[in-house]
Order: sequence, then C-alpha cells, then structure tokens
Amino acid sequence: MKTFSRLHEKLSQGQFAVTSECGPPRGANKEVIDKKINLLNGYVDAVNVTDNQTAIVRMSSIAASVHLVAAGLEPVMQMVVRDRNRIAIQSDIMGAYSLGIRNILCLSGDHQKFGSQPDAMNVFDIDSMNLIRTVRDMRETGKDMSGFDLDVAPQMFIGAAANPFADPFEYRVIRLAKKIDAGADFIQTQCIYNMDRFKEWIRLSREQGLTEKVYILGGVTPLRSAGMARYMKNKVAGMDIPDDIIKRMDGVDKKSQADEGIRICLETIEELKELKGVSGVHIMAIEWEEAVGKIVKQAGLK
Amino acid sequence: MITASQKPINEIIGLVEPYKKVLILGCGTCVKTCFAGGEDEVAVLASALRLSFKKMARSVQIEEMTIERQCENEFIQEASESIKRNDAILSLACGAGVQALAKRFVKDVVLPGVNTTFIGIQERPGIFTEECSGCGNCGLATFGGVCPVTRCAKKLLNGPCGGSQKGVCEIHPDTPCAWHLIIERLTTLGQLDSLRTYIPPKNWNTSLSGGPRKLVREDHIL
Amino acid sequence: MKLETTPKLTLFHCLNSFEETSSQIDGCEMKTVRMACSSMTKDIHLLKAFEAGADAVLVLVCPGKNCRHAEGGLRARKRVDYVKTILDAIGLDGRRLNIFNTTAKDKGSITEIIRNTIQDLQTMGPNPALNRLN
Repeated sequence: MKTFSRLHEKLSQGQFAVTSECGPPRGANKEVIDKKINLLNGYVDAVNVTDNQTAIVRMSSIAASVHLVAAGLEPVMQMVVRDRNRIAIQSDIMGAYSLGIRNILCLSGDHQKFGSQPDAMNVFDIDSMNLIRTVRDMRETGKDMSGFDLDVAPQMFIGAAANPFADPFEYRVIRLAKKIDAGADFIQTQCIYNMDRFKEWIRLSREQGLTEKVYILGGVTPLRSAGMARYMKNKVAGMDIPDDIIKRMDGVDKKSQADEGIRICLETIEELKELKGVSGVHIMAIEWEEAVGKIVKQAGLK
Repeated sequence: MITASQKPINEIIGLVEPYKKVLILGCGTCVKTCFAGGEDEVAVLASALRLSFKKMARSVQIEEMTIERQCENEFIQEASESIKRNDAILSLACGAGVQALAKRFVKDVVLPGVNTTFIGIQERPGIFTEECSGCGNCGLATFGGVCPVTRCAKKLLNGPCGGSQKGVCEIHPDTPCAWHLIIERLTTLGQLDSLRTYIPPKNWNTSLSGGPRKLVREDHIL
Repeated sequence: MKLETTPKLTLFHCLNSFEETSSQIDGCEMKTVRMACSSMTKDIHLLKAFEAGADAVLVLVCPGKNCRHAEGGLRARKRVDYVKTILDAIGLDGRRLNIFNTTAKDKGSITEIIRNTIQDLQTMGPNPALNRLN
C-alpha cells in the first residue's frame, strides 16, 4: 500500500502516533520556528503548522512548514478556507507539495471576528468538507477542480478536524462520516477534557464502522494554570472542560499547577492508548512546546 | 424586505452641508417597515436638521416628501417637481432607491441618508434579522428552509463547524447557529437523511462574484 | 449661558398623570399637551416642541405598571430616550428632555419636577436653536 507521508506510514503500521503543534510567529523571524523545531524534533511524528490561527495574522503556514521540512521534521500543514478562494487553495496546495509538504489538515478556520483584523472580508468560497474532497480528488484523479489534468498532482495525506464536544452531539458522528466520505485519512480532535463524552463519540463512531476507515488522533492540551482552564472553558468556542478538571487545578498551589496540568494530560493519554478506535494523540501545547518532550517521554511514547 | 438604518445625524449634516435647499425624500416600502426612511423618519430627521441648522445660525431650507417606492420610475415621477426646486436630495431609501433617483435625475445631487443593511425580516417588533443574501441559486429546499449561505458565519454547506455550542454561533451569543436550526427543522420534518447528503462547492457565478447581475424578462420587453 | 427671558416649557402628559387645571408655576411659560395615553408620545412631537420654542420638554406618565393601557409609559420612555440621543447628537443637549412618572393627585411632586427643570435651565441656558436669525 502506498503511503503518502511518514505519519501515514506509522499509522498504517498500527503504531500509536504522536503529533504536536507549532504556531508560526507574528513576524518574519525564522529563529522562532527554529527554536520550536529544536524543542519538538525527535519527540513527535509530525507537527501541525497552524494557518493564521484565531485569525491573527502570522507567518504563512506553507512557509513555516517548509522550515520544518528543511529541519527534517514532518509538518502537517493546516489550511483554512477563511482566507482563500478555490483558486488560491488549489494553487497553494500544489505549491506546498512541490516544497515537500506531505500532510494537510483541512479546516474552516476561526471566524475573523475574534482575530487581530476583524474588519477583514472573509472568503469561505468552499467549506472544509469540500477542501478535503478537493485534495482527495487531486490525489486520486490527478485533476484540479475544473477537471484539468495536472502535470504532477499533489499526493497528500489528508487530515480533518472533529469536535466531539460541539453541539448538537448526535450530529457529530454524521459529520465525521461525511468527512470520511469526502476523503479524510486522519482526524485530529478538539482537546479532550471530558473523557466520558469522548468515549461516547468513539463508541458511536465505532458502531458505524468509522474508526476502521480513518485514523483518529485524540487531541490533548496540557493546562498551565487554573486560570487558563477557566479561560478556555468560558472563552474558547467549542471547548468542554468539566468542573472536576477546574477543581483539580484549583486544588494545587499556583507553582504546581503546570505539573498538575501535565499529569491530567498524561492520564488522558493513558486512556486514549487503551481506547479501541484511537490511533494516536495530538498534543497541542499552546506556546508551551517545552512541555511536549516531557509529556511524550513520561507517557512512554518515545 | 430590504432593511436599512439611518446614518448618524452628524454624518448626514456633513453630507448636506454644501446645500441651501434640501429635499428629504422618504420611501414608503421596505425602509418604512424597518423604521429607517418612511414618512415618520423623514419628519423626525427634517426636524432634527432644522434644529441643528438653527443652532448653527445657518439658513437651510428643508422640504419633506415620501413616495411609495423610490426604486420604480412611476413613483419617482411624483417627486420630480420637488426635486427640481431643491439643490440636493437626501434619499432615505435603500441603495437601489438612491441609484434609481440618480439614474432618473442625471443632473441632480442625490445623497444617501441611510445605510442599507440586508434582506431580512422583522423577527419581533424592533428586531430585524438577515435571512437571504440574494445568491441567485436558492438551496433552501435542501436546508429545511434555513439558509446557511446567509445565516452561517462561515457559509458552511455541509454541516456545522466545531464552534457551535448550545445552538449558538461562536461569533456572537445572540446569533443562533444556522446549522443547529437546520438540524432541528430537518428532524421535525423527518428529513434527517439529507444531512448525510454531500453538497458540492457552490457556484457563486449567480451571486455578486459573477459581477453586477441583470434580470431579463424577454416577455416584458417592448 | 444665563437665561435672560422666562424659560419656556412644554409638558406632554397622559390623562392620569397631570391635571390641566393645575395652577401655573411661577417663573416659566408653560404649554401643556394632553394625550389620551402616554403611548401617544411620538418623537416628532417632542422635536417639534423644541422647534416651536421650548427650552425644555417634560413628559409625565403614569407610574410603572399603573398605565391603563399597560405599556404606555414604557413606550414613552423608549421614545424619550431616542429623542435624547438626537438632541445630544445635534448639540441641543438631551437633558432638556425628561420623562417622569406622576399621578395627577400628587401636585407636590409635579411642582417640584417643574421647579427643578427651571433650575436646570439656569445652567443649561436657553434652547440654542432659537433666538438666532434664520
């Protein structure tokens, strides 16, 4: 079987994969990327490079991904449909592939209302479902969206996001099925704090045979403080943090909260490893890349 | 209806500033219904402008008139006498009305007194919501009568994004998630199957992306 | 700006909040406008009162839930607030327009409201849109 990337290869071998995240800088400083590369290299199988996340203008995901490729760290280039129409999307995917990028994560993108430039016009020419399909069709048929035969068609390992914690819950499995139909090879989920709900989502997905068709990487984010936990619970769209977690963070003194956050994260990973239908973990240590190596080592993933 | 809201009064004062005789021309259709440019709003704006100019010790003549529809020539005709005797027309109609006047009276100054906002409905007294973007290719049959092109902040056609919680859109707690409403409606109608249906990329050619649009009815052209 | 002339007041009221026969208050020239219900308070009438020369405009409505037509006082208050924003925007000062809940019987309170209004006008000065050549 043909594999499209190293991440794909690892997953196809049935090994528990680890991905992580790297947010490009708000500027053109390559050193910021290099620093993050050093912290992550050797610990993870691939690193998501975010695409102007939370609609804050940053170095492009493609460029930052290329820096990772050069350093031998495999990127998962994130791409949102917020800022590009279908012409730019296809063009950027071809360009990214030519630069050595082999994984893509297809997203809608956070609304610009929350970003640094809320006055901007958004695009949303196609939705994330159709972005997935576009990359798949390029790969499978060798054609672009117009049906034109491409000289060399991008052959990427295609990822999509899933949020088992968003409402309406019943629809979340249907949405996953649709993304698989569209061509998603792997799924990275929203951060898991509510394990019961996550397990229920996996159970329903398994019942429909979906976990056989796609690699699911459970998302985790180590909490750095009780304040961060509260902020995420109240301010971040689509986030589900049960009160127990907040209480647990509150229960230790300030200096030890980061350690407690990592402990919660490790416990979550332990459960994910045992959960049938879960193929890996996606560690999103937001601006805390130092934590990733520690988590990977302590979780026995390296 | 097409909704609009009156421009801030100081912006209007700035617009009419160079003129001595101003006709405030209301429109008795959509903008009347949304309290932006009907007879009542014309009267209030005229009164406010008169007070304001008196305060500035400036002599400006303000004439008030409201016609049934500013977007149709036969109604516009009624205003031609008034338009002729003024230096500028401050139209309280939507952008279509303003431009219809400008087309009809090529030598007269036509100024907009309202900001045209959207195609919508009055959900309850005093609250207007956007429902349609006039995309030129209606898919409401697929979406249980709720338009995701207009009412989903990300124009998603294949289901809700991950930011929707408790039926509320991530962009604002007052904004219902269009997809939540679609799912509710389809559940009620027993058409949940259509949620699995794949919706291909939208053809935006019929929308403003295809350039200014024109509607031709051959059978009505003489 | 000191008042050099007798302040002019226009008083809108519903049937139950004021009696036309109430004695005039010294120190002002008052016009009264009787409305069957305070819900008839309209923005244009309030503005026209200023155009007609009022230095201040008062709206008297029934207290809270006592409105005979349920929501009259509430509607009146909303419109008064709206006109206040217009007055502020054009530099006439929204404080020239006020709404109070009164009952016709409570003559003392009404007298006090009017006295306070006259007092406020001493500092606000006359309607700035008047007494100017036009």
